[in-house]
Amino acid sequence: MYPIILLSVLGIVVLFLGFMKSKNILLPATLLFLALALGSNFIDWNQGPLLYFYGMFSVTNLTLAFNAIVLISAFLIVAMTRGFQDDEEAQPAEYYGIMLFSLVGAIMIIGYEHLIIFFVGIEILSVAMYILTGSDKRNLRSNEASLKYFLMGAFATGIMLFGIALLYGATGAFSLTGIRGFVSTAAGAQSYILYAGLLLLLIGMLFKVSAAPFHFWTPDVYDGAPSIFTTFMSTIVKTAGFAAIFRLLSHSFAGIYDFWYITLAVITVLTLFVGNVVAVYQDSFKRMMAYSSISHAGYLLIALTALTAQTERSILFYSMAYSVATISAFGVLMLIAKEKSLDGRPNESYDAFNGLAKQNPLLAFVLTVSMLSLAGIPLTAGFWGKFFVFSSAADRGLIWMLVVAVLMSAVGIYYYFRVVIASYMKEGNTGKIRVAPFYQIVLVAATVITILFGLAPGFFEQLL
Amino acid sequence: MSASLLILIPLLPLIGFLINGIGFRRVPKGAVGVIGSLAALGSFAVSVAVLSAFKAAGSEPQVVSLFDWITVGNLNIPFSFQIDQLSLLMLMIVTGVGSLIHIYSIGYMKHDEGFGKFFAFLNLFLFFMLLLVMGSNYVIMFIGWEGVGLCSYLLIGFWNTNTNYNNAARKAFIMNRIGDLGFLLGIFTIIATFGSVEYTEVFSQATGLSIGDPVVVTITLLLFVGAMGKSAQIPLFTWLPDAMAGPTPVSALIHAATMVTAGIYMVIRSNVLYSLAPFTLEVISIVGIATVLLAASIGLLQNDIKKVLAYSTVSQLGYMFVALGVMAYSASMFHVITHAFFKALLFLGAGSVIHAMSDEQDIRSMGGLRKKLPITFLTFLIGTIAIAGIPPFAGFFSKDEILAHAYEHNKLLWALGVLGSLMTSFYMFRLLFLTFFGQFRGTHEQEHHLHESPAAMTIPLVILAIFSAVGGFMGVPEALGGTHQLAEFMSPLYEGARQVNPEAFAATTLSHSEEFMLMGISVAAALIAAIAAYVMYVSRNSVPAPDTAERSSLERLVYNKYYVDELYNGVFVKPIAGLSNLLYSFGEFFIDLIVLGTGRLVKGVSGQLRQTQTGSVGYYIFAMVVGIVAILFWNLLIR
Repeated sequence: MYPIILLSVLGIVVLFLGFMKSKNILLPATLLFLALALGSNFIDWNQGPLLYFYGMFSVTNLTLAFNAIVLISAFLIVAMTRGFQDDEEAQPAEYYGIMLFSLVGAIMIIGYEHLIIFFVGIEILSVAMYILTGSDKRNLRSNEASLKYFLMGAFATGIMLFGIALLYGATGAFSLTGIRGFVSTAAGAQSYILYAGLLLLLIGMLFKVSAAPFHFWTPDVYDGAPSIFTTFMSTIVKTAGFAAIFRLLSHSFAGIYDFWYITLAVITVLTLFVGNVVAVYQDSFKRMMAYSSISHAGYLLIALTALTAQTERSILFYSMAYSVATISAFGVLMLIAKEKSLDGRPNESYDAFNGLAKQNPLLAFVLTVSMLSLAGIPLTAGFWGKFFVFSSAADRGLIWMLVVAVLMSAVGIYYYFRVVIASYMKEGNTGKIRVAPFYQIVLVAATVITILFGLAPGFFEQLL
Repeated sequence: MSASLLILIPLLPLIGFLINGIGFRRVPKGAVGVIGSLAALGSFAVSVAVLSAFKAAGSEPQVVSLFDWITVGNLNIPFSFQIDQLSLLMLMIVTGVGSLIHIYSIGYMKHDEGFGKFFAFLNLFLFFMLLLVMGSNYVIMFIGWEGVGLCSYLLIGFWNTNTNYNNAARKAFIMNRIGDLGFLLGIFTIIATFGSVEYTEVFSQATGLSIGDPVVVTITLLLFVGAMGKSAQIPLFTWLPDAMAGPTPVSALIHAATMVTAGIYMVIRSNVLYSLAPFTLEVISIVGIATVLLAASIGLLQNDIKKVLAYSTVSQLGYMFVALGVMAYSASMFHVITHAFFKALLFLGAGSVIHAMSDEQDIRSMGGLRKKLPITFLTFLIGTIAIAGIPPFAGFFSKDEILAHAYEHNKLLWALGVLGSLMTSFYMFRLLFLTFFGQFRGTHEQEHHLHESPAAMTIPLVILAIFSAVGGFMGVPEALGGTHQLAEFMSPLYEGARQVNPEAFAATTLSHSEEFMLMGISVAAALIAAIAAYVMYVSRNSVPAPDTAERSSLERLVYNKYYVDELYNGVFVKPIAGLSNLLYSFGEFFIDLIVLGTGRLVKGVSGQLRQTQTGSVGYYIFAMVVGIVAILFWNLLIR
């Protein structure tokens, strides 16, 4: 609750700071504000389940943990922006302000107790993303991506709102508890209006986390957006989105699990298949990462489909592992793409990584650890993330889904290792890349977190 | 006892490893040895502090939990240390003897270009060995177990430009892997049976089982396979003599005093389980005594100073297993301790000789060294007397205790043990006489170069010699009017075992006169062997024949180590290599077909599927609508 208020106010403060002559204050100020928001997040820690805003917003330790992951990811990403000094057209104050506002939306959908709060939150988040996607104003691809994202997002919003309306029509309630009350009645468990509402709302949400067949926007948007905002989208939106879907399903619709799980299972398998298989064909690392984010949505969907007592924790762990690895991967990509830029445009193909390890062993190592974690190789956090997700599915007996998931992880190894092979084994003439100290700290921190939780996953549990 | 103090014990060597390992070639040579040795000495000092705190607190075993490590389903594996009598004794040996050997290495390895690397590996070894003995569950023990195996591999192949040395390192690693497989299966069986790997939990559950329970027999046998590998017992012993390819301090630390005793530590740690499995104990004592005799007989004819000591180590480890087999756990630990002293001493002495002889290891080229190397000679003499079992030196007490327990258990076992002791005394005195007595038989250059080693090397020798001389007094038998302090100290470890198998821990039935007789016989055997060696190699001045000489068939059999290596080569290595070649030439085709085929298939599907990403928003929305309609249609109408 406190971060929502703090971030809203501080976002406006950042906008005002933009009037100052010197732009150098913006980056440290934003980082400070994020740190403040993170600190305020823990005021409610261990205070037990709390309800705020007339019972429309709930706070538990787990939602606070999701908030923390989102805020820490945002902190790491903002630290990598370097104040947007490279781009003369950039509007740093606006970007930072919008990022802070979007976090308000993310936190709202992590802890909503009322569908209106959810809707407002997801729109805050989405509109912010439409703008950031198009922030590279002179770049046609960025503009195109932004417009596509907006058109399709608006469509999905319509569907979602329709779903919410139907749910209200069926149950007479917007609150999760109210809906659960209706679902648990005999009439509720059979209501077709309720079913239709749930499906449409779910479809809208699945669009936001790019599950197939609602994923088509993802590769184009991720590819077209400036890399730094792609990182933001693929970590923060995804983490918050999954927290939100989990909340909806577990708090309101656990009673009719048998109704929705088959649909979700089919979507899961489709998402895993599309994400992993199409990633194989990409020549651009960035586009591969877009498909990779689709495939990780698939793995997270496995946990949702299983919906056991452990699901929330496994989603939490997985989001953490995935976010950290993604941030370090994009961090390295941004450095390389700028170093190897062609005609002033960043070069994001696999070839740009050739021979990286010779002159830049640290970058190559960071990249390798991140790829290993994304591929789910043991001794990285990504392995345990997958392990927890898979074991929850095994507990539910969803073996056929696991078989697909494991096969698809094997496919994943192919495209994740391509870049590792390029950086260690291929010939190339990457010079020594100068990495700003702050940037380096972010990369090393992300790598250390990945290895630490890979060695001792129990440590994470203890933090909760 | 605070956790922060305990964690320092393994942490210090780890820090030493990191400094010397990462800073290799950058840390000045003078600092490398000091850092490495200080790390070892530091953890020795902390261990002493922990020991005194432990005694002051009433000798209560303690488990200090550091953090939850792995939680999977119902299985929870914490990262925690257990401090009790057994781990403390091992700590003292590992850090104490380890520190001396670190200091010795400063002198011994001074001229080696891999000086920093050497100390880094030694520190890393200490770290893993300390994890092994301090861990409070089988999984941490396993990490240490694998870690010391890795360090052993790295250090055997330390001079990696020599192919033979690399092969020796590989042999050690592979043979240990065979044992490790058994150990790992044992741990899995423990998890399946008890649902935990924590010692306290496993042993308290085990006390509910009955003697001879097949599950316990399986577990103990599997664990013993691990011990066979690590502690070089038949049939997995051949790696240890080859491991002498490593630098001599490594042989002293890893392949004599500490790592090879890990198997014994593990059995004593699991004494509750072993006390429940008489069949396994029977197997252990048979394997143990067979190893004693086989290795000792090979030792009789070896001419390489380190090889003799290596076979002697194998044979002494055999004695320790004999003791375990008759459930004389304290006696076994006693021998581990005294053996650590005198065998480390003998190896370091041998190192001093090799150092003086400009890397010559063949005792046929030595002789008369006692005048040039007085300190080395005196300390080596003490070590020899100690290992031969002549009172009042350390080896006498520990070996005699083992033999007494063996006698109680089975007269034949005792008789074979005495035979082994006779051989031990002979080959050790043969080594001593050929090296230090008579005339110098090496080249003129070597003779010119002969010198006593520097103080960094002789001081550890002297300290170890003192312990080899008086170390036995911690366990004086009652018959000689002493108290067995070690057995009293270790007694609380067997609470559980005593509960499940009270007969095994009944007071001794031997009368004092019987004990005196046993002692007399074994001392007489040792003395006779020593005199025989004196007559042969000093009075008659005979020197072992060169390798090319004609030998009788029995002599040839022993000289060539019973052709065990050749046997393994013929029975295991060659058929496996043949099969591997066959599969390579034949199977590769099919595997390539499958692998490449799958790859092409995925890529083909990927290429097709990629076409769906057209870039047109109208198409995308159409696809979404189709998806939505399909979902609604199926869920609301068909179902």
